[in-house]
Amino acid sequence: MVNLVLNENMKIYRRLRTWILIGLMIAFVLFVNIMNWHFDGKSAQGKGWRTELQKEITQWNEVLKQPKLDKQTKKYYQQQIAINEYHLEQNIRSTEGTLWDGVNGSAGMMIVITIFTIIIVGDSVAGEFSSGTIKLLLIRPASRTKILVSKYISLLLFGILLLLTLFVVSVVINGILFGFGHMDLPLIKATAEGQVVESNMLLNLWKTYMLNSVSTVMYVSMAFMISSAFRSSAMAIGLSIVSLFAGNIVMQALQRFDWSKYLLFANTDLTQYLSGLPFQEGMTLSFSITVLIVYFTLFNLISWLIFTRRDVAS
Amino acid sequence: MNTEPVISLIGVTKRIGRTNIIDDLTFDVPQGEIFGFLGPNGAGKTTTIRMIVGLMSITKGQILIKGKNIKTEFEQAIRHVGAIVESPEMYKYLSGYQNLVHYARMVPGVTKDRIDEVVSLVKLENRIHDKVKKYSLGMRQRLGVAQALLHRPSLLILDEPTNGLDPAGIRELRDYLRNLTRTEGITVVVSSHLLSEMELMCDRVAIIQRGKLVNVMPIQHFTQGDDQDQTYLIQAQPSEQALETIKNMDGVRRVNLVEDEKIEVTTDREQIPDILIGLMQNQVRIYGVQLVCQTLEDRFLEITEGGQIG
Ligand SMILES: Nc1ncnc2c1ncn2[C@@H]1O[C@H](COP(=O)(O)OP(=O)(O)O)[C@@H](O)[C@H]1O
Ligand SMILES: [Mg+2]
Repeated sequence: MVNLVLNENMKIYRRLRTWILIGLMIAFVLFVNIMNWHFDGKSAQGKGWRTELQKEITQWNEVLKQPKLDKQTKKYYQQQIAINEYHLEQNIRSTEGTLWDGVNGSAGMMIVITIFTIIIVGDSVAGEFSSGTIKLLLIRPASRTKILVSKYISLLLFGILLLLTLFVVSVVINGILFGFGHMDLPLIKATAEGQVVESNMLLNLWKTYMLNSVSTVMYVSMAFMISSAFRSSAMAIGLSIVSLFAGNIVMQALQRFDWSKYLLFANTDLTQYLSGLPFQEGMTLSFSITVLIVYFTLFNLISWLIFTRRDVAS
Repeated sequence: MNTEPVISLIGVTKRIGRTNIIDDLTFDVPQGEIFGFLGPNGAGKTTTIRMIVGLMSITKGQILIKGKNIKTEFEQAIRHVGAIVESPEMYKYLSGYQNLVHYARMVPGVTKDRIDEVVSLVKLENRIHDKVKKYSLGMRQRLGVAQALLHRPSLLILDEPTNGLDPAGIRELRDYLRNLTRTEGITVVVSSHLLSEMELMCDRVAIIQRGKLVNVMPIQHFTQGDDQDQTYLIQAQPSEQALETIKNMDGVRRVNLVEDEKIEVTTDREQIPDILIGLMQNQVRIYGVQLVCQTLEDRFLEITEGGQIG
């Protein structure tokens, strides 16, 4: 099994295409962070964080004076004000103007990881068919199941590699831009009960990474299924990326239907439970996890059934 | 020597849609034999090979390789098999060597030394670290043979291996296969739609047509017919009288005048001396008697009743 994964890795990393994607990933992270620093970060450094935070509190207090504010929004601003006051009282600077600002912001680029991984995934099974190499691959003493699993593992490893690239590159570039001081800055956040607490910034970052990875894994499984079902790389990559983008738009249109909460797209973003604003009233974390497990099992079961049963006749 | 067949097909049938592309194939191949699988294009050779190596499911019947069922004991059965199904497609973006490493990793016990051994066997030492993209067709074929031999299979299956080879290449392949069967006791199943190639390469030949097995026989029978049914060319004068005489004799299946002084007789081998005595007794002068070896082509047409080839 280890050998099979080594083989799949060889087929991923001995291709120029893969390194172009990794190069693009690095370039994107550098570009976004340098732009962010250029237009935003520099000024925050200049005026000092205390002034900035104070200014924000004043702004938000103005907002709160508006009469027609709904409960959710009101709660949100009150929390933000509490957090800023905590910073000021405890003399803990905000992330603004430190490397954390850029590093945390870069976590939003995980969608790029999903897209790039889908590109490699889509070709993984379909590519063996279109090149004809599948014939020599499947006539070895390794069951089709093992070959499929090793492909899946190697693809997840590729996703992890991109994630590590994102992490390392964003830390290094922001360290260079903002300086490596304030590495041990704590994260100040409000709990669901409204209490303001300190937590570890790095731990929180990886929690965000992991929650976002759930969606990556779901789309990878979907692309993998299409790749083995239709044996077409273009279709697997195209359909998966389209649903990645169209998913959210479609979900907004469907939000008013009760059944829409059972759709995959309503559940892929688990960070909705961190902010306390789920897609539909009454959805819980365990509900979403259950739905995701069902889809995950379904996608991979279909991939497996098709890949192990079907005749290789091309 | 082991008498158990290396491979046996028992009533193998493949149905796609409503037609049986392969219909009730049964044959065995013993160890050390080069077995030819002959049939016109579309006869079902590739389909049969795909079933043997587990790429396609078997609708009915079973295939045993060294006694292991390819369907239920796939991993034990397939480890004895090295194969090229149609053209040997390799990973073009990898080097020849990396391709071999890839396949070596999939079978326990293939060492680095063994890889080097097969590389020199197929004479690719100089180019093995080039990307397969840059290989010629001949080099790809040789790399295909290398990957098939890597794990020292007992059974080598080659689907139309001579496609794209020049006559020298075909001869080399033939000598090479002979050598393999002699030195390593390997069994070879080789398919082709070209009769002339089979004739030179194989010990036994199975003919398949429209998915059905027409005949299995040693190659000598193939080219000469069997003892009961051989054709001789007799040169005799006067030919009219010779023809009359032969026509009236027992055991003659067919007789006709092919050209002046030449009579073609199809009969039992044992009848020939009697025919000659009979002719001499009738004052026919005999100038020559010759056994006619049918070409494989003729024989094939006869067996398949004119089914077109290739
Ligand atoms: N996947 C398939 N679906 C339907 N018919 C097929 C399929 N594969 C092969 N055939 C048919 O089966 C027959 C045998 O094909 P094949 O085994 O490739 O012949 P050969 O290798 O002897 O030239 C052909 O008539 C072909 O059209
Ligand atoms: Mg064929």
